[in-house]
This record gives sequence, structure tokens and C-alpha cells, in this order.
Amino acid sequence: MSAKVKTLERKGSSLAEKIYFVEIFKGMATTFGHFWRNLLDNSNLYVRHYPEVEPEIPVRWRGRHRLTSHEDGTVKCVACFMCQTNCPAECISIEAGERLDDKAEKMPVKFNIDLLECIYCGYCVEACPLDAIRMDTGIYSVTDNNRESFVLGLEELLQTPGAFSEEEYKKGGA
Amino acid sequence: MSLLDILLVAIRVAFAAFVPLCFIAVCVWMERRGAGFFQDRAGPNRANIFGFRAAGLVQNLADGAKLFFKEDVISDHIQHKFYFVIAPLIVFFTAVVSFAVVPFADTLVLNGKSYIMQGIPIDIGILWFLALAGFGVYGIILAGWSSTNKYGLLGSLRSTAQVISYEIPMGLAIVSLLVVYGTVNLNGMAQFQGQLLFGFIPMWGIILQPVGFLIFVIAAFAETNRTPFDLAEGESEIVAGFHVEYSAMKFAIFFMGEYIAMFASSAIIVTLYFGGYQIPFLSTDTLITYAKPVAFLLMLGLPAGMYFFAGWIRKNNVSHYPRKNDPRVYEGNIYIKGFWGLVILLELILFAILLCKSGGAAAHIFVVLLQICTFLMKVTMMIFVYIWVRWTLPRFRYDQLQKIGWQVLLPAALLNIFITSAFVVALS
Repeated sequence: MSAKVKTLERKGSSLAEKIYFVEIFKGMATTFGHFWRNLLDNSNLYVRHYPEVEPEIPVRWRGRHRLTSHEDGTVKCVACFMCQTNCPAECISIEAGERLDDKAEKMPVKFNIDLLECIYCGYCVEACPLDAIRMDTGIYSVTDNNRESFVLGLEELLQTPGAFSEEEYKKGGA
Repeated sequence: MSLLDILLVAIRVAFAAFVPLCFIAVCVWMERRGAGFFQDRAGPNRANIFGFRAAGLVQNLADGAKLFFKEDVISDHIQHKFYFVIAPLIVFFTAVVSFAVVPFADTLVLNGKSYIMQGIPIDIGILWFLALAGFGVYGIILAGWSSTNKYGLLGSLRSTAQVISYEIPMGLAIVSLLVVYGTVNLNGMAQFQGQLLFGFIPMWGIILQPVGFLIFVIAAFAETNRTPFDLAEGESEIVAGFHVEYSAMKFAIFFMGEYIAMFASSAIIVTLYFGGYQIPFLSTDTLITYAKPVAFLLMLGLPAGMYFFAGWIRKNNVSHYPRKNDPRVYEGNIYIKGFWGLVILLELILFAILLCKSGGAAAHIFVVLLQICTFLMKVTMMIFVYIWVRWTLPRFRYDQLQKIGWQVLLPAALLNIFITSAFVVALS
């Protein structure tokens, strides 16, 4: 199997192009077209009016984390430490405790994610054997005034709802 | 010296000093919003005072306030603090003063006495501009050298070499222009351009000297350190070039000096090649004779223009997303009312001119005002060309810059002189 060779035409060697002026005027005509179109009607601008108009977040987009729970409200996480071990940024710290609701042997007593350390790679979601941690909250703007508030605890992670339905999430291929 | 003399001197000096300063705001605004529109984005338009954004002009105020209150750093490693501080002032001062010889209206004749409409009443005109434009580069050189910084020094070195290369074609382009006009006085040049070629084409410099115009504009771009010749700044290679060590107001003075230089060189280009304050087909004498018909036509034209302008504001000054009781519509309506008020005021002034005796003092003053407006409009358009070129062309490589200067512009300028001289000799 031979490689396909595509020869691109080199521009800029003809006399008209070497004189520059013709090409410069052509380029200026192009930019002026854009300017004039936007000046006459600035709804033609390609930009999003950001704080007011928010971007549409797709299902597979990795946003802020959340912990999922069973239908009866108990936490799915069994504190297996898979995510913590996998995390390349070492932002997850779990403390395991005894589980009393007969779902499994262990459950997390503490589950902290430091969002300032997190690189949003999604390895924790990949590693989780029980689909207990997800990044489907659709939260993309994480801001606050002090460092402490960027450490998410167990309660906060459990309370954050997912932004998508279960079918959509499954279709997303996660 | 009568009171009128003193008043007119004060007016013309104030005009030459403050109009460039006012145009800083206009230039920066045009540059930033223009850049936005060229690149299909909005540009800075969020800063506001009580919801009034003034199409982004408020941003200038915010920037100015920020730069004013920032810490003014002079690093310890800078040995020549005096030169370091004086460098931005040289750039700023020479830029402002170089505008002083540009006539912004034809000589005003009141009670048989004529008053020159330019900042400094000297005849050397274009020579003054060349001298000061060249001197402005000393500021850049001093800034780079006294910064004791590699990047700064590289930037000022580039600037020096660039100015040496481009002053020559610029001077030669002006020489061929002088052969045509036969005067160095800028007012004389503007008056020359009020004539008509073959009776129907305005005798503007760009029509008599198209090659000279291109050479001069290219050299002027290089002189003002604007893209595609802003190697002295060269962000991608030498951070910020000559002003890398400058902060706060000292940086702002560099910045403002650059924009004033742009304004001044636009004014010179307009005066040399676009007829200065001359309105095409209407020389000063014609205007004074027909002051009343012109005023009447303006009275008709102003509301018509304002009608379309109001429509444009109504269309564009809205939020482009669903919003209840859009405050921008309210804002736009206030602008429209303000502009209509302005139009009514102008109509009253024009009406007063219609009532005055034709050919009198009122007609003379009206013509001067009309010419000032024409001049400023032409200069604004030239500034727009500067901005337009900046956001179209990438920066030249350094060897390309020198090659264009010495191997293309210099021979072209020399050839232009020979051809022009031959024509002038043959025709006279």
C-alpha cells in the first residue's frame, strides 16, 4: 500500500504576488467585508454573549464531580479506593468506614475532592467499578473567594444532581 | 493686537494641542472595536456608567483610570533613571508638536485681516514634520537603551534601523511632491489641491503622485511603528520591545504617544495627498460665495442622515439574546434623542447662517468650520486605514523589511522623482 502524495500548489511565486500590492488589496477587501457586515448588523458576530447566554454542555463533557446513590438514597460508593489510586492529580482522598445497610462491606466516611488539584481527566469515572462517581453535573464554572471552599465533601458530592437523564447518559457512551 | 487676534491665536493653539489628545480616545476605541468587527467578535463593549456604554467608549475611561492608579515601577537595575523617565515624554511630546504645522482650515479672513489656521504659524511645514517625526524615534531608542534589558535594546535597535531605512524613501517621496507643488508650506499645498485637473478631477496629491503616495504611506506606517512594520514591539519575539520595562502611566504615555503619532501622520497624509481641508469640487472661494446654498443643502442632508443613523442605533443597540425590558433599547432611545437634539442645534446654526449677509464674516467662519469638519473626517478615515491594515497584514520579517526599504522603495522613489521632474519641466 503506497502512501498517497498530495502536492500542494505553492503560492507567492508569480510576479503579481511578488509585487504584494494586489494581494494586499485583496486581503484588505476580505477583512473589510467582515467589518462592514458586522458594523451594519452586529447580530452577525460569531461570539456568544457569555455570562448571559451559556454554552450548551454535551453529555460526555467532564464537569464537576458528583457521587451517585442507590434508589433508596444510600451511597453507591463502597470505598474501594480505585479512583483515589487512579487519580493522576491526587486530588481525591477517601476515608473508609464500616457499612451497616447491607449493601456492601464498606462505605466512605469522608470523600474529599480538591477541585484546585483536579485536572478533570475523568480517570476516576473510568476506574469506578460501581458507577458511583460521575462528572455529568454540567457545572463548568467553578469559582469562589477562598481555597477551602474548593474542597468538596461527601455531602456536597452526593447532593449535586446530574444534569442529564439516565438514558442520555448511557447513550453518551460513558 | 486686538482682542480678536488673541482669541484666534488661543483657538488655533488649543485646537492643535487638544484635538490630537481627544483623538487618542477615538483612535483607541476605533482600534479595539474595529479589531473586534474585523475578527467577527464584539470588542470591548461592556464597561458602562449607569448602563450607558456609549458603544464601548466608556472602556477608555476604565482603562485610563486603571493605568493611572497602577504602581509605577522603576526597577533597581536601571542606571539612567533620568533617560528612562524622559523617553516616553519625548515620544509623546514630539507626536503632539508634529501636528502643530498642519493646517486644519484655509486662511480665515476677518475684517480684511487674515488668520492662519494652524498651531504654529511657520512656513517650513513639511520639514518640521519630518524633523519631529524623526526625533520621536529618539524616545524609543532611549527607552530601549535605558531599560538595561535585552528585549528593550533589541526593540530599539530594530526601531533605529527601521527609521534610517524608511526616512529616506519618505523624504524622497516628499521631494517629488515638492516638485509638483512648488512649496514646503502645508497650507500652500492644501490650496494647490483645491484646483481642478482638466476642469473636473480634484487636483489631489494622490492623483498627481500615485507612486509617491504609496511610498509615503508605507514609510509613514514604518515611522509610526504600526503593523506590518511594528518590529520594535514584536510581541512574539521580544515580548514588548522597547517598552518592556515600562508600567502604569509611563507605559500609557508611550501608548498615547503612539496614537497621537498615528493621528499626526494621518493628518500629514491627508494634507499632502488627500487635499487637506479641501472639499472636493468646492474651493474656499466657491464655498464663501455659495455659503447659503451649501448651508441649505446641509440643512436638508442632516436630518436625512440622522434618520438612517437612528435606524442603525435602533437595530444594533439591543441585547442579542432574549431579555425582558431590554435596558439597551432604552439606552439606544436616549442616544437617538440626544443625536436628534444635536441635529436640531446644528439646524438652528445653519438657519442663522442663512439669515446672515452673504459673503460676510459669518460666511467666512462657516466655511472654516466646514473645512475643519472635512479635515477631521478625512483624518478619521485615514486612521481607519491604519487600523484596517493592522488587522489585515501580518508583521514583516526583519530582512524583508530592510529589503523592501532599500531595494524596492528607494529605487521607486528615485525613479518617481525623475519622472515627475521630467513631466513638470515638459509641462511648464
